[in-house]
Amino acid sequence: MTGRTLGRALVGAAIAAAVLLPLAFQGTQPYYLQLAINVLISATLALSWDLLARTGQLSLAHAAFYGLGAYTSVLLTTRAGVPVLLGMAAGALVASAAAVLLGFLTLRLRGIYFAIATLAFSETLRVITNQLPFTGRATGLIAPALLGGQRAAQYLVILVILVVLVIVSGWINRSRWHFAFTAIRTNEEVAAVIGVDVVRFKVLAFAISACFAGVVGAYYAHVFLFISPLEVYSLAVSVGALVAPIFGGLYTTAGPLIGAVVLRAGEELLRSTVGGGYPIIYGFLLAVVILYMPRGLAGLWSAASARLFRRRPLREARAG
Amino acid sequence: MSLLALAGVTKAFGGLVAVSDLSLEVRPGEIFALIGPNGAGKSTTFNLISGLFAPDSGRIGFDGADVTAAPPAKRAHLGIGRTFQVMQPFHDMTVMENVLVGELFGHAVPKSMAAARSDAAEICALVGLAHLADRPATALGVADLKRLEIARALATHPRLLLLDEVMAGLTPTEARQAVTAIKAIRDRGTTVLLIDHVMSSVRDLAERVAVLNFGRKIAEGSFAEVAADPLVIEAYLGTESDDQVESDGDHGQH
Amino acid sequence: MVIFGVLRSGLYSLTSVGLALAVGVVGIVNFAHGEFLMLGAFLGYWLFFSYGLDPLAAIPIGAAVVFLLGAGVYRLGIQRVLRAPELNQMLLTFGISIFLQNLAIILWGGDPRVATVSYKASAVSLGALTVGVPQLVVFALAMALTLALYAVLGGTRIGKAMRAVAQNRLGASLLGIEVDRIYLLAFGLSTALAGTAGMMITLQLSVSPFIGLLYTLKAFAIIVIAGLGNINGVIYASLVLGLSEAFVEFYVPQGGGWAEGVFFFLILLVLLVRPRGLFR
Repeated sequence: MTGRTLGRALVGAAIAAAVLLPLAFQGTQPYYLQLAINVLISATLALSWDLLARTGQLSLAHAAFYGLGAYTSVLLTTRAGVPVLLGMAAGALVASAAAVLLGFLTLRLRGIYFAIATLAFSETLRVITNQLPFTGRATGLIAPALLGGQRAAQYLVILVILVVLVIVSGWINRSRWHFAFTAIRTNEEVAAVIGVDVVRFKVLAFAISACFAGVVGAYYAHVFLFISPLEVYSLAVSVGALVAPIFGGLYTTAGPLIGAVVLRAGEELLRSTVGGGYPIIYGFLLAVVILYMPRGLAGLWSAASARLFRRRPLREARAG
Repeated sequence: MSLLALAGVTKAFGGLVAVSDLSLEVRPGEIFALIGPNGAGKSTTFNLISGLFAPDSGRIGFDGADVTAAPPAKRAHLGIGRTFQVMQPFHDMTVMENVLVGELFGHAVPKSMAAARSDAAEICALVGLAHLADRPATALGVADLKRLEIARALATHPRLLLLDEVMAGLTPTEARQAVTAIKAIRDRGTTVLLIDHVMSSVRDLAERVAVLNFGRKIAEGSFAEVAADPLVIEAYLGTESDDQVESDGDHGQH
Repeated sequence: MVIFGVLRSGLYSLTSVGLALAVGVVGIVNFAHGEFLMLGAFLGYWLFFSYGLDPLAAIPIGAAVVFLLGAGVYRLGIQRVLRAPELNQMLLTFGISIFLQNLAIILWGGDPRVATVSYKASAVSLGALTVGVPQLVVFALAMALTLALYAVLGGTRIGKAMRAVAQNRLGASLLGIEVDRIYLLAFGLSTALAGTAGMMITLQLSVSPFIGLLYTLKAFAIIVIAGLGNINGVIYASLVLGLSEAFVEFYVPQGGGWAEGVFFFLILLVLLVRPRGLFR
């Protein structure tokens, strides 16, 4: 269908333009580049959280992996002279390892118990980091810059990270993993009885999700040059990571990205008007979505396009 | 040589003993029925066989191998399949996709996606769901949901199929169709172990029957033999009579 | 050290018993529980600041206001998700929590406020220890209210209706109990209890928009330790938390900071080892 391919090409071109635009403005309006970096960080966190959510594990520990990535990288680069990019890779590794641990620990926990346990894990890390002199306590740590502080180059780095994640997410959704994840999410016991290796998939999802959260955490550290427990282990990180996919459409690749972009834009707008209370939009949207549009934006789009184009909605994504 | 062998299996929850010192054998190629009043321990037995519960004591053997400690997925790969009494389709998927999960993951050696898809289509046609293949699983009625449960279990190509109260909620005509279908499944080479309350269907299907009461086996033999057993009659006295079609709201423990 | 732990557990009991009520009767794990506490605290502060009203005396007013707030939240939102998957409920209350917390930040700013009541600094000696009067009063009042709640649940018609609904929703409605009304009352009551605890906090500590989450999580820790839905075990679980925190504060070097994390640690421990709770 040429109509569809043309449509896809247009969307692709629009995205490419939007992505490259900030670079064009970097000389005159460096703010946009900064904003773009922030948006891409949020997008990566959102999509990586969604990966885990596909197995039915709605975690509140995303900040834990973000923070672990950040602290690992900063500690290695400042105390052991490790080059920044290697530090970032190490951050991803440590985050993944922690996720495997947490994954095994929480295997039998469901729903709210799981959420609380992950939250407890994240906050425990925050408290520990806050207390230990080794990690700089509440004062935090200063980090060396990535690629000499060149914003344009840094922007390309996060872009690459996000693209890799998008490819991974798309692949997962098109392969048999999609069925395993969905089966586990829908009904874990039945999935096991049918022969799905539930443990393997759940822990693997955790590891992959955390890997990206970790690398982004490290990235954040080396771009913004300063980290503290309150910032990187904060609940706001985990909340931002989960509201975006719920808002944009769970279990899809596009949903979390769209959600992240919209939310970040809204956040920037709000920050200028209400200052410290800007996360109020997250709370408000979360409540509204759960009450009135459980399928998020992607669900609305899919229902609308079904009516417009007489196509059946594809993957149906629902919160919960 | 038995296909499934339970030896001295016991399972208790807190203070309540659900299954007590249960021993039974299912021979290859037969249709074996497990019956008993509500709360007798039948569903618990199924959960023990399929691996959702671990026994407190006793052994479970399948085709010569000891599976007592094997996780559910492993048992599926070895050839134990089951349906669930309270129907549990994967509600975010279509009918075909539900069956596909079984094809993709139910075998020790994973199939290719293409092979899995075509085999899944075959099974859908076999149970009579081909025309509903692309509908969401949640759109199905009771009888079709049962077909889906069976199809999904068959997709794992089980050597032993555990059928958990398939007759509940079916009209007499549908029940007769189910009996024919189950016999056909057996004739294709799958051994069947079933739990049911609808006695007319049990009588038509089962070659051997075991009766559980309060977690213990109180009788075993042909349907005629156990039906005449005074212990069995006494166990059932006061509960619903035979041939009553149960509504599918039955969440009683077995 | 034991005294401090026990005293602290009084307030914890009051805070958590409300959440236990919401979980047990309505069946909703209210992530926003602490925000109602925070709102109660702000209300107490405001009443004290504007009218010189002692927070303790203002409790009936505060409780009533927060009750109405809670009932409103129930009608507007909670009611709709009671039949939805548990995760939707969790996310909704989570959203409400974030909303309320940031609303407070926007309205009142993020700085902590302190209400200096006349007897705030006064203390009493019990043997070798000096204990603050506010702490004692709060403890006594909190325990009294908690026990009063138990009495209500056990003795009154409404209380029994709540317990019936908690155990078996369908059965209770068949008995003619208006389940929805009970839900409304129970939820309102749970938030009112939180608000009351909040007003007591005004007396002792500073009030800021951020305290909500902290108390929500501590309340979680306590009801997880007691066992979700187990309202009776809350007092014992509160003692566990109170004593553990006091223990850490006293015997661990720089214990103050670590004590903040004790409840997380306890949550993890209980959930991983005995998810059903210690006091079933």
